[in-house]
Amino acid sequence: MSENTIHNNDYAVIGKSVPRIDGREKVTGAAKYTGDLKFPNMLYGKILTSPHAHARILSIDTSEAEKLAGVKAVITHKDVPSLKYGISPARWDENIFCIDKVRFVGDKVAAVACIDEETCYKALKLIKVEYEVLPAVLDPLTAMDEGQPLVHEEYERNINTEIHQEFGDMENAFKNAHHIRKDRFVGQRTYQSPIEPHSAISMWQDGKLTIYSSTQSPHYFQYYIAREFGMKMGDVRILKTYVGGGFGGKLEPTGLEFAGAVLAKNTGRPVKMFYDRAEMFAHNRGRHAQYMEITSAVDKDGKILGCHTNFIMDGGAYTSLGIASAYYAGALLPLTYEFDNYKFDMFRVYTNLPACGAQRGHGAPQPKYAFECHLDEIARDLNIDPLEIRIRNARRPNTVTPNDFGINSCEIKSCLERAGAMSGWAEKKGKLPKGRGIGVATGSFVSGAGYPIYRTNLPHASAMIKVHEDGTAATLYTGAVDIGQGSDTVLSQMAAEAMGFVYEQMKIVAADTETTPHDFGAYASRQTLMSGAAVKQAGEEVKRQLLDMAASMLQRPVYDLDVKAGEIFSISDSSVSLSFSDAAREFFVRRGPLVGKGSYTPPKLGGKFKGAAVGTSPAYSFCAQVSEVQIDEETGVIDVLDVWDVHDCGMVINPGLLHGQVHGALFMGLGESIWEQVLFDDKGKIVNANLAEYRLPTALDMPKVHSGLIDSYEPAGPWGVKEVGEGSTNPTMGCFANAIYDAMGVRINSLPLTYEKVWRALKEKREKEQAQK
Amino acid sequence: MYTPDFDYYAPQTVQEVCSLLTQFGSKAKILSGGTDLMVKLKHGTIDYEVLISLKELNELKGITYQEGKGVVVGARTTHNDLVNSDILNEKYLSISEAAHHMAGNQIRNIGTIGGNIVNAVPSADLPPIFIALGAIVTILGPEGERTVPLEDFFTGPGKTVLAQNEIVTYITIPDQPTTGSNYIKFGLRRSGALAVVGVASSVTMEGNIIKDARIALGAVAPVPMRAKNAEAALIGKEYTDELLEQAGVAASQECSPISDIRGSAEYRRDMVRVFTKRSLKASITKGHSGEHLETEHGK
Repeated sequence: MSENTIHNNDYAVIGKSVPRIDGREKVTGAAKYTGDLKFPNMLYGKILTSPHAHARILSIDTSEAEKLAGVKAVITHKDVPSLKYGISPARWDENIFCIDKVRFVGDKVAAVACIDEETCYKALKLIKVEYEVLPAVLDPLTAMDEGQPLVHEEYERNINTEIHQEFGDMENAFKNAHHIRKDRFVGQRTYQSPIEPHSAISMWQDGKLTIYSSTQSPHYFQYYIAREFGMKMGDVRILKTYVGGGFGGKLEPTGLEFAGAVLAKNTGRPVKMFYDRAEMFAHNRGRHAQYMEITSAVDKDGKILGCHTNFIMDGGAYTSLGIASAYYAGALLPLTYEFDNYKFDMFRVYTNLPACGAQRGHGAPQPKYAFECHLDEIARDLNIDPLEIRIRNARRPNTVTPNDFGINSCEIKSCLERAGAMSGWAEKKGKLPKGRGIGVATGSFVSGAGYPIYRTNLPHASAMIKVHEDGTAATLYTGAVDIGQGSDTVLSQMAAEAMGFVYEQMKIVAADTETTPHDFGAYASRQTLMSGAAVKQAGEEVKRQLLDMAASMLQRPVYDLDVKAGEIFSISDSSVSLSFSDAAREFFVRRGPLVGKGSYTPPKLGGKFKGAAVGTSPAYSFCAQVSEVQIDEETGVIDVLDVWDVHDCGMVINPGLLHGQVHGALFMGLGESIWEQVLFDDKGKIVNANLAEYRLPTALDMPKVHSGLIDSYEPAGPWGVKEVGEGSTNPTMGCFANAIYDAMGVRINSLPLTYEKVWRALKEKREKEQAQK
Repeated sequence: MYTPDFDYYAPQTVQEVCSLLTQFGSKAKILSGGTDLMVKLKHGTIDYEVLISLKELNELKGITYQEGKGVVVGARTTHNDLVNSDILNEKYLSISEAAHHMAGNQIRNIGTIGGNIVNAVPSADLPPIFIALGAIVTILGPEGERTVPLEDFFTGPGKTVLAQNEIVTYITIPDQPTTGSNYIKFGLRRSGALAVVGVASSVTMEGNIIKDARIALGAVAPVPMRAKNAEAALIGKEYTDELLEQAGVAASQECSPISDIRGSAEYRRDMVRVFTKRSLKASITKGHSGEHLETEHGK
């Protein structure tokens, strides 16, 4: 049977909105997060951070802090390895504690372990650090100028990453263009703002380090911690508890694990470290602000002939995941629309501000905002309907992008058409009352990165299933990380489907480097496809062994047997049946544990040029969004009324969770579009590091969301799956900006699209019209 | 963050409160809800050795109508008590609506009107509507009771006419012939946002003529302020949309907003114009129920 016909089969477990495996625990409050855990003799730890954006450390005096009752340890750079770490091996530029100078307000200087939280705060105040304040680099646009202070002495002109890529024949494309347009847009710094603060509890036993952590990747933590302390990976155990959201901000070491590990070792006691909300903002690793210039050449029908993107991104003080962010910013742009000629220039610069990293959609959403606005402007120049220009340029399946990404399934054209139909585009466009507008944009994203973050030949995912000895349950052991998105549920569904078992009797042990097999974790929207592929293989191995046992028990050939939803049956004789449980129990009695295992390594992907690996993926999701907004002409208030989102994400394992991802992504996209922005004073200190002034949307701000799906099948994914979690963040900002333009005839060229910006644009438009009269 | 140590008193009588305040002086602070106080204590931005809770003073809790006096609101009345009060819902729904738009439900359950007023935050939501309705504050001190119009109560951000050993006990809305009243909070999201501009108004109509009008503005001056020029532009005139626009312009000129992370002074000033106009229109046409609970920003 080919995969394509399987796809159309009636599945027993997948394709169904089964309840979340952790739902009851979470809604009753029984679920334990790292911050809820307590261990005997546990100490509390806090990190002292820099009050200056850029300063030389002259001296650190911890003696007063050490004298305070209840203080068990105080550590500085002298007490920890000086080996630099980071998450991108190309630029390891962080120390556990600053040695010579601090580089942003919030940079880590020292840490304490105390008998309680209160003593920690008191002890931090007693650490005396003498600083020589240095001029700070706060503006990314001038950071590269000659004579600017250097954030890191070894990086000239504060250039952290520089990218210059060119594909096809740009000169020819622009020479033959019917129309060329250049636009400039500015993105803003946003922060992931997971509800659960980062925390880590570290403890030692006989030279083995165990850390409970709110992390998106136990594997990378294990790797980097072992590396930092010169330990064997086998002597480092990282366990994830329940995680209250990550969105990219919990992928890399936070500093809490390093400091906590040393404090725990020095005191011989478990140490719980955590960030409060303001410290989370200071640690940051949120979305980079990008300054984006886009120039496109099009023919008379609006078909894109070539495109040049020229970006600068504010990286903050450290690299974090920023090299990938920088590449992603340009590399993912040619996914949704087909064109052959593409040039991408990027500078990621260091500034004395908190480091930026990966946030849902990684580097892609801001460039997508810019490009979708730019495309609407081109459509207007050529008098083409915005939906139509996108359909004309929409990528087709089985194509290759100019930067060598192979696209298998791609239903973006259908997504656009469906979103148009659902939203009533044809009836609304140009016909809505004043103040009301409709906009469209598209998105796409990788279903897992083609290459891991550091160089290794490890499989990307692996899984193990053990059927319980009496056959009544099965436990999936996976390194995949559920951070709220529902991977534990989806992977359990996949395991049950592959085994022919039932979801209700699935148990799961996940994201513990000691008990579960390796997996790179929750980032780059990889787990449904990659972890799922490993789980499917493990389930099929169980099924094979089970049917072999059943064949022996039933005295029938194995090819005549199959198993579905916990029942073994004969293909030729419907009177024959045997339960999964009975066969599994018998298997254990006769042959020992019934275990299946699987692993997944993506095929070799991508081209040969520098940076070719970033953005490669076995499969890409696609989507189209249409939104309708109402603008209050006098105040600039933006009321997003409805959003129609149509996705091509391959086979859907759990439609309920999928639509939840679309809603969640839209919530974040809405916040980034209209409200969210990390703001600084002129000394580089965040002025809104709290949830009152960093305005995430509330339930009342959410529009009506209409989430639709296009039937599609991805040959590279198990059962034809692709991602949904991040691609759905991509279109939103551009979609709203285009709807605002449609409503009011003003183009907001910078994010967020605040009420005041809309008000000002309308005011300036009125004044201009007055002047022309 | 941690809650620092302090001595805690929960006196049984208001007189006891005043004597404790006299005894401890500036080391003591009244605790009435604590939604702002406890946060600041935890953040270490303020420091008090003694907190005096009003929680035993049940006589300060609740809303009554007293013949000849008006609606009397005890200082310990919570925001949700204002939201759910039958008396206010009937007489001044505008107050219930203003309270409904404050903060989140958890805060509304515990925060009190006394705390909201005494805290004297320029962007507070309750002062404008109470000022527009001519509310009187009753203050108790060791020397006895005194009353002050709410509009004269504030002296600066975080500052009021209260002496160190005085407390607010009641806020009274006197009986009045007003036709309608209304408060529009303009925040940057639909819930849980501080007011960028708050505009309250009350209007007394005689036929089509505006006989009297009071306009109170929040978040656009160091203290909640009356927009008296705007009021003067209205009184005695026939109600038209153009007239309300003129009042809005006057109000925008007499306020003194600052620029901060929530909005520029220029934007705030123009929003005062817009929302003064909209608040007045609602007061004139919709009685004391602004009805803007259901719609956006008074539109």
